[in-house]
Amino acid sequence: MRGLHQLDRSSAVAGTAALGILAIVPVIFPGNYLMGVLTVAAIYGIWAVSWDFMCGLTGRENFGHALFIGVGAYAAGYMNVQIGWGPWWSLPIGMLLSALFALLLGFPTLRLRGPYFALAMLSAAVIMQRLMLIFWEHTGGEEGIQDITPLIRNHLHYYWFVLVLLGVITFVLSWLARSRWGLILRAIRGDEATCLAAGIPITRYKIISLVISAALAALGGALYAHYQLQVSPQLFSIVTSITIITMVYVGGMGSIYGPVGGALLLTLLAEGLRDVGEWRLMVYSVLLIMIVFFLPNGFIAPLWQKLRATLRGR
Amino acid sequence: MSQMLLEVDSLDKRFGGLHAVKQVSLAVAKGEIVGILGPNGAGKTTLFNLLTQFITPDAGHIVFKGHSLRGLKPQKVVALGVARTFQLCRPFAGLSVLENVLVGSFGPRVHHPDLVERAMHLLEQVGLESKAEVAAELLSYGDQRRLEIARALATDPELLLLDEPFAGLGSAEIEAISALITQLHTEKKLTILLIEHKLREFMQLVSRVVVLDFGEQIAEGTPQQVVENPRVIEAYIGKQGVTL
Amino acid sequence: MEILIHGAVSSAIYAMLAVGFTLIFGVARVLNLAHGSFYALGAYGTYMATALLGWSLLPAALMAIVQVALLGVVIEKIFIRPLRHSQLGVLMITLAISLVIEQALFLIFGSEYRNVPAFIQSKVSIGGIDIAGQRLLVVAVAVLAIGALYLFIQWSRLGSAILAISQDAEAAKYMGIPSDRIFALVMAISAGLAALAGVLAGPFLSVQPTMHLLPIMKAFAIVIVGGLGSIPGSIVAAMMLGYAETIVAYTISTSWTEIVSVLATLLMLVFRPAGIFGKRAAF
Repeated sequence: MRGLHQLDRSSAVAGTAALGILAIVPVIFPGNYLMGVLTVAAIYGIWAVSWDFMCGLTGRENFGHALFIGVGAYAAGYMNVQIGWGPWWSLPIGMLLSALFALLLGFPTLRLRGPYFALAMLSAAVIMQRLMLIFWEHTGGEEGIQDITPLIRNHLHYYWFVLVLLGVITFVLSWLARSRWGLILRAIRGDEATCLAAGIPITRYKIISLVISAALAALGGALYAHYQLQVSPQLFSIVTSITIITMVYVGGMGSIYGPVGGALLLTLLAEGLRDVGEWRLMVYSVLLIMIVFFLPNGFIAPLWQKLRATLRGR
Repeated sequence: MSQMLLEVDSLDKRFGGLHAVKQVSLAVAKGEIVGILGPNGAGKTTLFNLLTQFITPDAGHIVFKGHSLRGLKPQKVVALGVARTFQLCRPFAGLSVLENVLVGSFGPRVHHPDLVERAMHLLEQVGLESKAEVAAELLSYGDQRRLEIARALATDPELLLLDEPFAGLGSAEIEAISALITQLHTEKKLTILLIEHKLREFMQLVSRVVVLDFGEQIAEGTPQQVVENPRVIEAYIGKQGVTL
Repeated sequence: MEILIHGAVSSAIYAMLAVGFTLIFGVARVLNLAHGSFYALGAYGTYMATALLGWSLLPAALMAIVQVALLGVVIEKIFIRPLRHSQLGVLMITLAISLVIEQALFLIFGSEYRNVPAFIQSKVSIGGIDIAGQRLLVVAVAVLAIGALYLFIQWSRLGSAILAISQDAEAAKYMGIPSDRIFALVMAISAGLAALAGVLAGPFLSVQPTMHLLPIMKAFAIVIVGGLGSIPGSIVAAMMLGYAETIVAYTISTSWTEIVSVLATLLMLVFRPAGIFGKRAAF
């Protein structure tokens, strides 16, 4: 890799091909169950990619990503059910609200290093979860908000819609990550004082990246709300955040496209383990332990890099 | 006095009970190479931190090209044309040598159609072009110094602040870096402010020296004058006996 | 008056949790998110020994505490030590371990509340108010345990070693202090304290698999407020939190009490990451 460059062609082609395959799968193997799983996987993909862009590049792991997801989802539910606006409004409103939260939280927390930032965000997510329970008259308390209207009634079309969004988001963020922006974020990870000495307004970049991450997470949240047709406080829980982080670890931190694979893999794994029911969380946790230990670079992105290198070597 | 690129007047800073910089004043004309000399703990790096606004001064003025630097954020100071290196090399870990330099070229002073080419050119000037793709943290110490300088140059500065560029280097490397500094001074018409506590190395480099001891200015003059100044000698012998 | 006593009880439990948490951080720079699990296991261990094995209370409690201490040592050695270089790695691993333990407890014991018997069954009357004797015992034991720990650290050779390592691990190693063994010891103390808290609090707090979450969040809040690595800071902050929560519970409502600790964490991190007594800010 030499200096700044756009997404290299083979990755772009492979990515498009992968999306194409994913799009066709439910046509070849029809059935609501598979499509449901793939839709959820795609949404997790959006969440994982949004996390990776901010956290994978800057190295500041956000343990409270669920906050932004929940804000988007609850905005969707609230606007749709309590206020009665049409479902398409959820997307921009959720994203805006989430961006606002990111701004408010970002300024004080982004100057904190590593574990402090992670835990501050986690605290924020826990507080939100509690608030959802406390103000149960508006938010439905434990059961949350039900009967949300779907965005697109046809399941297949909705799936394609989500897939297109995932594709666009992944491509745009991948491109950003490999451009000047990504370089600056990685430099911030390296040494902030040196960045300042190089003339970089680090706070601006950190905040904007967090805002982007938050807005996209909320988008995913709103999409999720209009798919499940209900939202509950569980969305804010640490389990959601940890699941996403695991997906990013599996996919390869900082690669942006890797987490999509991670999301797909882990969602399928979760479904495969559905019979085992309560063991699911256990498996995830054990998996996370093993990955942090043995594969800190994930395996999807490194795998793809190796594949590409081998193909080139021919 | 409009030829003065940098004017510092009565700069003062305390850290709790420690009076780190006491009423330091100095002026640097365009094109000069001025040395800041002093034993360890004299406040030299603090002075640099104050000049570049990494720390805020308690009192005093700093005027660069007619602009007051006080109250500005560090990246704004860079945008005005002041670049610095650090005493302990801090390359961006995880980035290649080329990428390290590139990061410095994103500022508002740089208008070049091909930043990669410009960065490579800078690497050539410091002698690192063959290592452009190497991960920065794997470089030898001397090379990391060159990288620091290249990265500072990438911001297109008019005033370059070098903090102990010879620290930790062997004598051959010191000569090489010294030659590099001279070359950059002539070719790029840079004004340079240089901190060192080994006088021998920068005797030939600088035209003028300001000596600090315990945050106070105790002498100023040509290298020859300063070496013969009894207060300076006392400050050095009294500390660790660093050879002048 | 009730507030005074209940606040003291909460503070005592929180103090035991927080001191252990801050100790392992101060010495080994480890933010152990599985700390709450030690608390839970203390309670569950005692339950298991008394209800399922028929032991009497004291030996059951002691055994549970010792076992948890040993578990802490094992976890430190296998999972935490290899990751010492990455604080976030340690966070993730300990978090994952806590979830694994939670799940294991759920699978073994189910989600119903379990019963841990109390040491003192009778009520005591103080200032005209009836207080469960167990609650007073909690305060007494906490004071004793923390006091003993403090004396140990201040007066014994091992204690000095611990202090040395917490100030500069490298230098301590050069002086021949066996840091690995000290880490294990500190972890054992930390886990043991947490388990002790679990055993004592078990009778009047709910014992179910997710019981580790709140204590760890509160311990974390306390330690942040008091200053990471500072034992006196943890004690002071524990009292602040214990009383703040009790006051909120009595004056506003119980559903807001959980927010107190988390909000305190967030606010402290934002405004003064070093905490009240802390020496290091967000590094």
